[in-house]
Amino acid sequence: MTVYETDVPGVGKKFELETGGDERLVVLIHHDGKREVYRRPDPDADSEKLFTVSGETARKLGSILEGAYFQPVETDEVQVPLGDAFIEWLDLEPSSELAGQTLGEADLRQETGVSVLAVQRDSDTYPNPDSSFELAAGDVLVTLGTSDEQDELETMLGEDDASSE
Amino acid sequence: MAVALYELGIAITALAIAGSVVYRYGLSVIPAYIVIGIFVGPNFPTTVGDLSPVALGAVGDVSLRLVSDSDLVAGLAELGIVLLLFFLGLEFSVSQLLDDRRRIATIGVIDLVVNFGIGLALGFAFGFGPVETLFLAGIVYISSSAVITKSLIDEGWVANAESGPILGTLVFEDIFIAVYLAVLSAVALGGGSLADAATSVGIAFAFLGVLFGAAWYGSGVVERLFGTDSDELFLLRVLGVTTLVAGVALAMGVSEAVAAFFVGTAFSGTDHTERIEHVIAPSRDFFAAVFFFSIGLTTDVTLLADVALLLAAAVVLTTASKLLSGTVSGRVYDLDPRRSLRVGLGMVPRGEFSLILATLAATAGGSAGTLGEVVPAFAVGYVLIMSIVGTLLIQNASAIEGLRERAVGES
Repeated sequence: MTVYETDVPGVGKKFELETGGDERLVVLIHHDGKREVYRRPDPDADSEKLFTVSGETARKLGSILEGAYFQPVETDEVQVPLGDAFIEWLDLEPSSELAGQTLGEADLRQETGVSVLAVQRDSDTYPNPDSSFELAAGDVLVTLGTSDEQDELETMLGEDDASSE
Repeated sequence: MAVALYELGIAITALAIAGSVVYRYGLSVIPAYIVIGIFVGPNFPTTVGDLSPVALGAVGDVSLRLVSDSDLVAGLAELGIVLLLFFLGLEFSVSQLLDDRRRIATIGVIDLVVNFGIGLALGFAFGFGPVETLFLAGIVYISSSAVITKSLIDEGWVANAESGPILGTLVFEDIFIAVYLAVLSAVALGGGSLADAATSVGIAFAFLGVLFGAAWYGSGVVERLFGTDSDELFLLRVLGVTTLVAGVALAMGVSEAVAAFFVGTAFSGTDHTERIEHVIAPSRDFFAAVFFFSIGLTTDVTLLADVALLLAAAVVLTTASKLLSGTVSGRVYDLDPRRSLRVGLGMVPRGEFSLILATLAATAGGSAGTLGEVVPAFAVGYVLIMSIVGTLLIQNASAIEGLRERAVGES
């Protein structure tokens, strides 16, 4: 991505960012700290002014945009990273043979390496379920494991292979 | 003569009111400052009664003469000129000039040949002498950085392609006017004979050469000298050095404005530029306002009648010439016809530099004769009209572009 910088004598500096296609964002930074942001849809169009902010607001806005306040994990599913492992919420499909089995019978830890931290059924949550806990279709398993382990469990749970990209 | 404090109070309050009124309508403040100066000044054409300022509350006196043209106002105005040029030097970006030198030189020369040429032609057509003609050509050539830059921002053009050639031309004009002021002031103030003029041009350039060398090589020293935590001391140091250098220059017969320009360039290469913008810009705005006001004070509106024909011819021809040179400049930058026309429209406003030339003419001509009276009166009328016309042209560019398209027959 190219950033173009120009001096505007008597005013300050102008920056242009290519934002994809022919569109450009134009940021005018005045000597007094005021920022004006324009959007130019294509080279032939006139720039439209989006907003003006003071220097202080601009810095705040900049750090929000940078992700200093909230840094989303840019994956297709919500995950809580714990080293290599992360926590997943997986649905137990009616098609899965695990429905009706106890956790002891399923022995998921042995089969996949994933630990079941809790099971959510309707509005109830069963934390630390023991080996006698009986799984039912529609349960949501809260599991801890690496990406590969989670994938394996997902297949066992009968998830339609909806690996959304 | 001691100036009454209330006169200064009236002057500054009048400026504030005039500025507020035009600000509301998005017009340039420069003509407003001049007009208010004319209104409250000693030359208001109600030349009935005495020429002393009226006592406040004098019953039955309808004269508006409230402020006399005092040494104090003239001194403040002088500081306005010095600071305007100082900032011009400060914002002078050598790197940008070098990056784009071919295109800037091209459009700068086009702009110069067309508009300066029209100025020379006007001068000869109206029977001016060589010096007066040179002043006239400079006055109609130089566009107003202040008015144009503000309009570019107000209209959002600054983010468009047309801002390139407009700002490029302004950069070229600013360098040219600095050199031109140096030459003209040496010639005009240097007395009559060619030898005298040559001597004073020599002195001027030697002095400016020293200044330029100091500006070029002294950045490190400037950097250290002006490093202080206190904004107050910083302001005093910068103003002190600038005013002192400008004053010494003037005493040696060199244009104070040009000297201030070089002091500005000495600062432009340092880390102080940002701080100067913050700390010193308010002073510049105040003194510059007083400068425009004092132009109004010293203007005798009755003289405008004598130059009406020249004024009309100049307004029509130099609007057309800037439209032409600007359109061609836009083409040099590969802009489409619509944007090229905008470059032309954008270059029309004239302002502060034409007035600085007029001030120099008044000084050189001893406020009498063609150089001392007619040229300054013309310049004031011309700037009043062109700053307003130019701003209006920029604000109504869309309508004008529509006219052009219909004329050319484009869809």
